Amino acid sequence: MMKKLCSIILIIAFTALLVCGCGPVSRDVNSGGEEVIKLRVVTYDNGSVPLDAKEVIAAANEVSREKIGVEVELEFQSKEKINLMMASGEYYDMVFTNSWINSFDKNASVGLYYDITEAVKEVTPDLYDSIGEYWDCAKINGRIYGIPVLKDMGSENMYRLNADYFERKKGMKIPERMTFGDIEPYLKAYKEDHPAAYPLAMDKSGLPGFSNFLERIVETVVVIPYDQEKPEAIAFWDNEEVMNRFRLLHKWYKAGYIQPDAATIDSTNTDRSIPVRIGVAWKGYQGYSNPEDWGFNVKTSIYDGPYISRTSEQGAMFAVCEACDEEHMKACLKYMELLGTDRKFRDILGYGIEGKHFEYLPNGTVFRLKAGQDRYNTRLYQTGSVVNASVESVSKTFLADPDQWEKVFEEYKTDGIYSRTKGFSYDPSKKEDIIAAVLAIYNDYSTELLTGTSDPDTVIPQMKKRMEAAGLNELLTDINSELDNWLK
Amino acid sequence: MTLLALPGMLWFILFCYIPMFGVVFAFKQFKARPGESLFTNLFVNSPWAGFDNFSFLMRSSEMPKIMFNTIFYNVIFLIAGIAVPVVLAVFLTEVHGKRFSGVVQMVMLLPYFLSWVIVGYCLYGFLATDEGQINHILSLLGLKTVQWYQSPQYWRGILIGTGLWKSVGYSMVIYLCSITAIDRSLYEGAALDGATFLDRVRYITVPMLRTTITTIFILNIGSILTSDFGLFYQVPMDSNSLQPVTQTLDVYVYKALMQQANFNYSAAASFLQSTVGCMLLLISQAVINHLKNKEGSEYIAGEQ
Repeated sequence: MMKKLCSIILIIAFTALLVCGCGPVSRDVNSGGEEVIKLRVVTYDNGSVPLDAKEVIAAANEVSREKIGVEVELEFQSKEKINLMMASGEYYDMVFTNSWINSFDKNASVGLYYDITEAVKEVTPDLYDSIGEYWDCAKINGRIYGIPVLKDMGSENMYRLNADYFERKKGMKIPERMTFGDIEPYLKAYKEDHPAAYPLAMDKSGLPGFSNFLERIVETVVVIPYDQEKPEAIAFWDNEEVMNRFRLLHKWYKAGYIQPDAATIDSTNTDRSIPVRIGVAWKGYQGYSNPEDWGFNVKTSIYDGPYISRTSEQGAMFAVCEACDEEHMKACLKYMELLGTDRKFRDILGYGIEGKHFEYLPNGTVFRLKAGQDRYNTRLYQTGSVVNASVESVSKTFLADPDQWEKVFEEYKTDGIYSRTKGFSYDPSKKEDIIAAVLAIYNDYSTELLTGTSDPDTVIPQMKKRMEAAGLNELLTDINSELDNWLK
Repeated sequence: MTLLALPGMLWFILFCYIPMFGVVFAFKQFKARPGESLFTNLFVNSPWAGFDNFSFLMRSSEMPKIMFNTIFYNVIFLIAGIAVPVVLAVFLTEVHGKRFSGVVQMVMLLPYFLSWVIVGYCLYGFLATDEGQINHILSLLGLKTVQWYQSPQYWRGILIGTGLWKSVGYSMVIYLCSITAIDRSLYEGAALDGATFLDRVRYITVPMLRTTITTIFILNIGSILTSDFGLFYQVPMDSNSLQPVTQTLDVYVYKALMQQANFNYSAAASFLQSTVGCMLLLISQAVINHLKNKEGSEYIAGEQ
């Protein structure tokens, strides 16, 4: 009796599982009589899903349906969800991919993305022309697997200082450029006036963009410095500049310029009194300097860059799913072309609905209205080309330069510092166990190192010893032999 | 009889036995092709990997330390997690004021319902270097303040204390129920014969609680390699300096795989945890049964 019952239950359960759980994922089919293709596009949510996303996407769909016969279901997902989606084989048409989340190099090398080398030239020549030389960062072995988003392609690190305090009150000049260590007198001056305060904003994410002057090969652990005679992959601690910065940070930490619990606090954004912050952006970016936001005038001073490498160019990209049929792949390309060439359309996904979320200012820039700031405040790179969108002014009186992108790209040509190994990518799949072990060790030290909490000269030897025991040298040898092959 | 067991059996089959096919992940190199079902991807598209997936666990030179931490804390929680609530439950039954004992129970049970994230921030309120209550008190007393999140020497104590604080109330309720179920006439008889409080506890309460204690012991020993992730990751705020005393197997796996979403490695790690747990569970059940038979006592320990 018992046995029979058990087997019946098992059979029922398995059948149920097979029927419900394992059926193939259904795909969107063309709706109605019209030839409209629906795409599932998954992008990064940058922390939160915009409240009015549905409404904005519907408005954008109306335009794109008319122009190219394509509609999208745009989903804003967290980094973890995107990783999980890629690892578990969920169906999508186009996904957000880059060098910092949902690794483009890794996924493209194992064949998760559609090879669009020919299609992009035939189907969407305008898109192909608009991206030009930047296609390089989307190539693996000479084939194109992704569509780079045109944005700030190099990284510039900058200090954001309270100009009211330093310039007007203390009479200190804030130059356009300085070096990393030049900030010290400013920190010192503030600390002397406010002994109980900590002048340099720092939270557990640590020094932003600390490795931007290095080409990152495995996260920030294995890097190639830009200024090497013969390019060679090394561990980050073998670069003097990195070590000097860590030493400076630790010095500032001990001097009380950095909050003692920096390594455990999540964010300092609400504390408007902090006079010095660090940011990563581009020349002319206004987001850091709106006085209405901060309660004082902010002046930025660049200390690094613009550094241009494969990782920096891969800041934001979209890739088409390998399992797409040809029709969907072409629709994805057409959609990206529309985003990259039609400014009015681009502004919808970028800023929302005109009149509700944003309005155009007389000089052609965009100003986000209250509803736009609260309910659809996405960063442009999340939804497509940044360069083709109108430039945002942070207030109606503090206008941005509508042609800033031309100047930024001009600067890359004249002042850009280019990596010598631009284009090299390492296929991590062979040494994945070592990488996992090494990253776990890195995570044991990184927060305190990047906030200045720990002394690099005591901590790094420990980290080095452990990483070497975990097989770091084997990994470096493997990377360097691949690099040598690539250089030939 | 069989019919009554049906819902329970169904639950076990659906949620414990069927998902077991997932152990295959630990021995495969999972390659997912988008749009195909999980079964095709797992069984057809992915090649077998043998024991390769376990190698990342062995890569870490810290593995002995990590294993030590995991087992150290679990053994302490295993013992203290039984001893402390039993003692508290015994004391609480001696409290005669109904209302007072109710309030005590409630207050002890409340922390159980807090999430570790909240507990972590509450603790931060006490231990923050700058604004923390404890450092305020220390400086009022003229003592040197402590950078708590950078001082690993205190944290074994802090973690054990916090862990017990959160769980003791809940287990106490279980023992309290068992004690209430003990026939009061036994105590009255003992009292008449001149037994002191300690005698009554030793000869009546503890022997009567043995079944409950053994059951809970067996249940807990199965998870000897599994640690409470919240306690060891959220409460110390993932502080780097504390890593020598807070890194347990679960924390290590999280840190190693957080950026990679590698199903194979995480499946391998949890396969190891479950295998060791299952073995310990069977061994301890055998030992307890053996002891029981030797004693010739009539109760059945956790027989399923």
